[in-house]
Amino acid sequence: MKHGKLSLVAASIALALAAAAPTADAQGTGTIKIGNTGALTGPYNEFGEGVRRGILIALERVNARGGILGRQTELAISLDDQLVPDRAVQNMRRILDAPEIDVVIGPGGSGPTLAVIDMATVDGRAYCNPQGQTPSIVYPDGTDKPARKNVISTAIQNDVEAKALGTYVASRFKKIGVMHESTGYGVSGSQLLGVEIERLSKTKPVAVESYNQRSQDMTAQISRVQRAGADVLVVVGLGADMAVIRRNMLRAGFDVPLITSGGGISLPYKEGAGELAVGTRATMISTYQPGKTPTGVAKELADAYQAKFGRDRWWGDDPATPQVFFSLTVGAGFDCATMLLEAVRLAGGTDRAKVTEALNRISNFPVSNGAATFTPMRRLLVQPENLGMFEYVKGDKNDAVLKAATQ
Amino acid sequence: MSFAASLILGGISVGSVYALIALGLNLTFLTTRTLNFGQGSLMMLAAVSAVLLAGIGANLYVGLLGGIVLVGVVAALTESIAIRPIAKVGGSMGWVVTTLGVGIFLQGFVAKFFGSQALAFPSFLFSARDFVSLGGVRLSAQYLAIFVIALALVIAFELFLKRTAWGRALQAVALDPDLASVMGIPVRRVVMLSFVGSGVLAGVAGVLVAQITGTVDAAFGFNLLILGFVAAVLGGIGNTWGALFGGVFLGVIEKLVGGYVSTAAEQGIAFALLMVALAVRPHGLLGEKEVVKV
Repeated sequence: MKHGKLSLVAASIALALAAAAPTADAQGTGTIKIGNTGALTGPYNEFGEGVRRGILIALERVNARGGILGRQTELAISLDDQLVPDRAVQNMRRILDAPEIDVVIGPGGSGPTLAVIDMATVDGRAYCNPQGQTPSIVYPDGTDKPARKNVISTAIQNDVEAKALGTYVASRFKKIGVMHESTGYGVSGSQLLGVEIERLSKTKPVAVESYNQRSQDMTAQISRVQRAGADVLVVVGLGADMAVIRRNMLRAGFDVPLITSGGGISLPYKEGAGELAVGTRATMISTYQPGKTPTGVAKELADAYQAKFGRDRWWGDDPATPQVFFSLTVGAGFDCATMLLEAVRLAGGTDRAKVTEALNRISNFPVSNGAATFTPMRRLLVQPENLGMFEYVKGDKNDAVLKAATQ
Repeated sequence: MSFAASLILGGISVGSVYALIALGLNLTFLTTRTLNFGQGSLMMLAAVSAVLLAGIGANLYVGLLGGIVLVGVVAALTESIAIRPIAKVGGSMGWVVTTLGVGIFLQGFVAKFFGSQALAFPSFLFSARDFVSLGGVRLSAQYLAIFVIALALVIAFELFLKRTAWGRALQAVALDPDLASVMGIPVRRVVMLSFVGSGVLAGVAGVLVAQITGTVDAAFGFNLLILGFVAAVLGGIGNTWGALFGGVFLGVIEKLVGGYVSTAAEQGIAFALLMVALAVRPHGLLGEKEVVKV
């Protein structure tokens, strides 16, 4: 009887200990989980939905190879913010409040990213910024100071883009007019571009005008740039607004070369401006180019995408190669997930501090948009050498087709 | 000179669109003392419908007509669903919420079933490259066409009000619906007609703006509705010529401020004008003070 009582007590203690024991996930034996918020719906869903698709392909690729450290991976939380900062903040709170999430892929666009990045920094989990271009997302104290410890980025940071755009226009034009959207992306992009133009040509842009996203008429801005005598217009903005700008330029008889940041040549520009887009040039990641077969991981991604999703809006019109913009949407999501999981592998598990520290040990690691090498000072995947100049030219069907610029 | 001219012309064109929206708001205000705040979404619906009809092989002009007719019908339904039940409660302002609700529903409906991505909208009145040269000043053919259409619609509406039986009936309902009913005027049908007309005006404004921007999406039209409302207040709610004047005045002031002061101030000036108008001349520039018998 006494022995029976002792057994019961021992069993109870064993049960209590078992209940108090860490779960399989916390011990590092469950799946490795990614949390993501992005514009899955809404007018800018080419960004967020593209990233989500890239993440899914990256996870399938890793899982097919046996996972990371023998563990399978999954996109455990995927939330829609429609590129609205308030929603991105709510979503990020949900992601960070979920202890089972191991690594985080943030929203697209500078506005939503700036709204969540401090939360993510304080939380400390490894975080990838897929598209936000404002430098303070990665470098809060300036690009000459160390980056946030837990943040890496696949975006074309504004200073990197400004260098490429500035170099291109400063050597070709004397009177440079600039227009930019009134978001963090547009404002910081325009300021950095102005600095770069001044550094290279010793002159300031002759006009700098801002506009609100989704403005339906930009007569005033175009007229001011035109009056300043600009012989080129450089726009830091997104595709739908670019269509309005292009149409406004032609209505005003302001038919000077139009050059834009990478966001400006997204599909809505081609759709909205039609054949009027011909002649427009832009800097963009040069991973995918019409008529040029991608190689390495970029080809793997393109093949996997075609097999899983087919040739759709994100793929583009060319049956042989994804459109140029693919690198900034699907490619960004794929690279973010692949690099974060590599950090988990290097860390030997999902311990937050170790994964964050392991980001600095990623070296010459091949992803679709280049080879990642990170240090406390260097956290950008996309460097100036990854960018090329592209131009819309007249296609066989009299439509606008994006090609690598010839000069 | 050409700088000022381009600003003024751009302002007249944009203002003409505000005027059409203001005219539509006026029309329902005349008959029911309510404003349809779903008007912006009706603009969107007309443009999206035109694109979709053209996409399935319809002639573009048939598509445009189809889109405009559709929003006329939707406007009439809005009156039945969102305004008439609320208007039965004397003094209720619930129609503000219900008409906004209809607009948001239409946005959601289009986003759900046709996507929220921007759809390309073709140019149907000239191309962005077409222009007329007048005294050395380049005038965009698309801008001129919008102004001419808006002016023609305002004149047609004035003639309709003053020269037709239905127009006079509409004025009678505006003055005193109970007395109009006693006099044998079919008040319900007149009210319904005013909503159809208001929807058609929103549809025309929608397709005209869409060809200027080149794209249309589910969120299209809401900002324009607000500016159309400002134009209606500036011109005097209920006044046809006031709608045109208010719209063009607002458009030109916006562009001149944008051109000569700051483009950042362009949006804000509309609301500054609204506040001044409500404080100084609430019946608008061309409106008449409303006298209430006590």
